[in-house]
Amino acid sequence: MILTVLQISCRRLLHNRVELLLTFLVPIAFFSIFAVIFGGGLGRGTTPKIKVVAVDEIQSAVSRHIMSALSEQESLRFVRENNASGLNRDQAMELVRSGSATMAIILRTDQEQLAAELMADASDQVAAQIVSAVVNRSIMLSEAEYQVAQLTDSEQDDNENQVAANETVDPNDESFGIEESLQRKVEIIDVMGEGKANPVVSMYASGIAVMFLLFGATGGGGALLEERENQTLDRLLSTQMSMDQLLLGKWFYMSCVGVLQVGVMFVWAQFVFNVDLLGHLDGFLMMTVVTALAASGFGLFLATLCKSRGQLNGLSVILILTMSALGGSMVPRYLMSDELQQYGLWTFNAWALDGYTKVFWRELPVEALAPQLAVLLVSGVVFLLAARVLAVRWETD
Amino acid sequence: MTYARPTPALAIHDLRKSYGDLQALKGVSFDLHKGERLAFLGPNGAGKTTLIRCLAGLTNADHGEIFLAGQPFKSLEARKQIGFVPQEIALYADLTTRQNLQAFGRFHGLRRRELRDRLAWALQWTGLEERADDLVGAFSGGMQRRVNLACGVMHGPRILLLDEPTVGVDPQSRQRIFKMLDELSVTGTSILLTTHHLDEAEERSDRIVILDQGKVVADGSIDELVEKSVGTQRLVRLRIDRPLSSPIRAGVSEGAASFGTPGENEIATRIDDVSNHLPDLIELVRRRGYGIADVQVEAPSLHHVFLHLTGYELRD
Repeated sequence: MILTVLQISCRRLLHNRVELLLTFLVPIAFFSIFAVIFGGGLGRGTTPKIKVVAVDEIQSAVSRHIMSALSEQESLRFVRENNASGLNRDQAMELVRSGSATMAIILRTDQEQLAAELMADASDQVAAQIVSAVVNRSIMLSEAEYQVAQLTDSEQDDNENQVAANETVDPNDESFGIEESLQRKVEIIDVMGEGKANPVVSMYASGIAVMFLLFGATGGGGALLEERENQTLDRLLSTQMSMDQLLLGKWFYMSCVGVLQVGVMFVWAQFVFNVDLLGHLDGFLMMTVVTALAASGFGLFLATLCKSRGQLNGLSVILILTMSALGGSMVPRYLMSDELQQYGLWTFNAWALDGYTKVFWRELPVEALAPQLAVLLVSGVVFLLAARVLAVRWETD
Repeated sequence: MTYARPTPALAIHDLRKSYGDLQALKGVSFDLHKGERLAFLGPNGAGKTTLIRCLAGLTNADHGEIFLAGQPFKSLEARKQIGFVPQEIALYADLTTRQNLQAFGRFHGLRRRELRDRLAWALQWTGLEERADDLVGAFSGGMQRRVNLACGVMHGPRILLLDEPTVGVDPQSRQRIFKMLDELSVTGTSILLTTHHLDEAEERSDRIVILDQGKVVADGSIDELVEKSVGTQRLVRLRIDRPLSSPIRAGVSEGAASFGTPGENEIATRIDDVSNHLPDLIELVRRRGYGIADVQVEAPSLHHVFLHLTGYELRD
């Protein structure tokens, strides 16, 4: 008996290609995707670079040397030329707030000593530590090189050496001692999370929300396939209702459910985790509505692409988990290589999360959401149109 | 004095439809008159569902014409005049009877008072007034079939297309469903139904069309079909008390008819006039020394007509 149960189970598995695919290929696919993201497969040689801006408030030979050294660091990518266009502290901070740069490096004097302030966007929790280490190292190396150069010069010109020695007390000039430089202060200032009750939670909430919007939308698309399988679709199309009306009705319904789903989640987040939903209601609603519309369009597109609910389940699990992994719903995109971050822009998740980040984290005005709103809305409409085209076969088969 | 022939409620002329190399319909033509109950029969794969889909506007024919009350078939207008009831229970199982009827009434374009009136009629017609607010998913197969049927007639169509409306239900429910259809027919609704229950088709329809391999092979009342195909002779079976030793001959002449097969306990033959010829046959068998244990007389039925016209070969 047991052997027979074993035999028929194996035979049924072999006869069901979709199940077979899900059993063996999906784990391999997911393993590969995560291996690429975390193992550096595709992104090898393009380790994530931290976007920085730098402001030299000292303008001495040492500080210029440090700036030059920093600009040669492989782990940093300067989004503006150093001191370009007279960039000042406030402008640099604004670039961080707007998300154009992850960190701003400010070289300044502190109690007559050279110091660095790192204005950080704490949403990238790794960047602050890396930049801090890089800046510390650059300051020490630059000063050491400068000291060596000064000592060589002093042997050649005692007079000049005397002058230089006298000037070591002046932090605006270039003669700090080695011991002093070891005590340089590199201070990290969080310019984004200050005053926020639980800032990072909103980012995770939006990541989860987008993933479940996609799952919900494909579930809604599955209802369409169910209607087709039990001939309800035939019956509906024999009434005065057209396929256009049917798809639009389902699109709006799925979007409304999506908005409610995310809304309920954020209300919970407001009460339990102190996410400031009411303070960002306008941006939240805009992002949630367009994300839900886009996800619903995608769900309908997948449903009309598939022949059965079994196919839809298999395909949607693969696509949604892949998009969520690449788009930052599972792990922050700043941990990925530049190349993978670019791939991520082909997913809903990345655009939606960027939008939610602007709303809850950067607290930018709603005008700043224009790119995200436009991309999501256009994709939603494009997917809906594609679903309509694919559904033609159901009207005329 | 001459009478003009009434315009058929539905007229189909030379309808053809292919799926790739497969010709599902090879020039189908027939009419359906007002209030007529037409049984549309055929083996599996004969093209019945394709024709129903063409009539319901769910697929387009490659060639041919369909007329509704003399007017060319236009999909949107046709949908107002045609009701379609698919073979599957095409309902929302997680809605109540009332909600399903309301939904399909709205899809058929009914609003407010008209919808309210039709809803009340449909609940009474199906006998489900007491179960109006129960979920359809919890109903028996027969009750679901009745709701399924009602959803297709909420808009009061002139023509009702039913694809096997009684499949999988008990005799009592079948009886109830045909009673409902008879009520519609009396009010002038023309009914075209496909079924594999040949006895039902024979008893509950005014006319029968048999389709085979995409062509109409018979069209008429049951009596007409019998006469044109198997003939009106009755099949007589006599069970005798012991195996037949040799065929029984009706006379001594060379051309005299003979009955029965040696070794068998049964003699089967066809006769034209049961009242005159059956006593003669019984007497003939007795005279040969055989006792008669049982007599069966079978009138030709739709079953015989169907197999005669479509053959005994499996089609799927």
